[in-house]
Amino acid sequence: MKRFITLFGVLSLLFSLQFVGGGFEAFAAGTEAGDTFIDHASKGLETFWNFTGFANAHYTNFIMIAVGLFFIFLAIKYDYEPLLLVPIGTGVILGNIPFLTGYQIGLYEDGSVLNYLYFGVKQGVYPPLIFLGIGAMTDFSSLISNPKLMILGAAAQVGIFATFLGASAMGFTPQEAGAIGIIGGADGPTAIFLSSKLAPTLMGAIAIAAYSYMALVPVIQPPIMRLIIPKRERLIKMKPPRAVSKTEKIMFPIIGLLLTTFISPSALPLLGMLFFGNLLKESGVTERLADTARNAMINIVTILLGITVGASTQADYFLTTDSLKIFGLGAVSFMVATAGGLIFARLMNLFLKGDNKINPLIGAAGVSAVPDSARVVQHEGLKNDPNNHLLMHAMAPNVSGVIGSAVAAGILLSFLM
Amino acid sequence: MNLLIVDSMTWTITVLGWFIVFVALVFLIGVFLTVPKILTWGTRRALRKKNRMAKKEVVIDDELVITGETNAAIAMALHLYFNEQHDEESNVITIKEVKKRYSPWSSKVYSFNNVNFPR
Repeated sequence: MKRFITLFGVLSLLFSLQFVGGGFEAFAAGTEAGDTFIDHASKGLETFWNFTGFANAHYTNFIMIAVGLFFIFLAIKYDYEPLLLVPIGTGVILGNIPFLTGYQIGLYEDGSVLNYLYFGVKQGVYPPLIFLGIGAMTDFSSLISNPKLMILGAAAQVGIFATFLGASAMGFTPQEAGAIGIIGGADGPTAIFLSSKLAPTLMGAIAIAAYSYMALVPVIQPPIMRLIIPKRERLIKMKPPRAVSKTEKIMFPIIGLLLTTFISPSALPLLGMLFFGNLLKESGVTERLADTARNAMINIVTILLGITVGASTQADYFLTTDSLKIFGLGAVSFMVATAGGLIFARLMNLFLKGDNKINPLIGAAGVSAVPDSARVVQHEGLKNDPNNHLLMHAMAPNVSGVIGSAVAAGILLSFLM
Repeated sequence: MNLLIVDSMTWTITVLGWFIVFVALVFLIGVFLTVPKILTWGTRRALRKKNRMAKKEVVIDDELVITGETNAAIAMALHLYFNEQHDEESNVITIKEVKKRYSPWSSKVYSFNNVNFPR
């Protein structure tokens, strides 16, 4: 040990001597130019100070850092979508550390590491990969066993189009309005995908709004459910879904892929990956690929997506009146989508007889926040009747909401690109 | 916010967009209501070919579908069967000889003073 310390001690001394020599040289050069050693030191310190975050800070940076910390707090304390809010919250902090521009540090500076990672968001690479993972982990059997519940997924997309209308009325361009409207789909990856194509400048605000409202599903949806669905209808018990054969499960992604992408080819990256992931799962012969898609890959992409979307909220880009408007429109959009699903479910009951009647609460799961809104429906169902389990039934409109919002995104793309 | 100030194109996209989403999903519903019927028809035909049933016998659809409860019962039975397999033992009781490794910690040899007496 003694030898080790001696050896490395001598080596470090030799290295430091080299610097001291350099320092003397610099000092000599300085004195030649008429500067004193103290002048040099103060200049060096001044340069260092100019590089620090303190010198470049603006009060807006601190506001955004507080927002990031709040996201992390929500995720840890209340368990609101922690897998999303922790990376996004950290990203918000990362993106708002003040720095001297021009040194390839920030997300928006070409050549910076964050800029390279942001490429996946900017070019819409990450959302389809997330959809691949979602497809590989989703069981569509509840939907296949009772396909008529799919219509609730379409009904809830009213939020997207109502917000599109509202955003246009508020003065946004049609492209921006389309990108804002997709928040009503309650689908983060779709929102990022569409906004990266239609309104890249608003993407940070749209993504943050979409993910925030997804995290707030347990807060936003229950009051609307209680408002729209009367108590006696909340007690309706649905008959258990029939068992679905393996052939049907394999046919679903293939038929779904062909039909939906032929109708809306612009949504091909999203729907293609979603159904491909599901085929990997259901085929039963590609378990290794399905396992990677639903675990390792989706986790990696979620980390990259969360951190870069968070970092894209640099105060100077994010803290604008447009962002406030987007947050307001997003909230309305989410409420309209939930209400749309619920009202349509009640409407469907007028045409259904006997034990085919559905519990209208599952209409709220038509928004595609998988599986949070289905979980909220289950929770509300149990509150009214502890023996009424609605989770499996709610998963049907929930996954059809994913398909519906991706189709809607494709339609908006084809109209507005 | 006056929605009337929105141009006709926006209204068109709104109405038509939502309508297309509906049509796409209604189309999927139609397909997935038909698929089980086709599969049942296929199963019936296969059964007929194998002569497992009389030609005039009527097959009720429910007979071709295994319900969730039946599946659960089969799964439970299999689970119990495979779990209880563990209990079928050979019934041969073997007493293993306990082997102790040598340890000098309490050895008598070390607890005596090995004093050499003068001869």
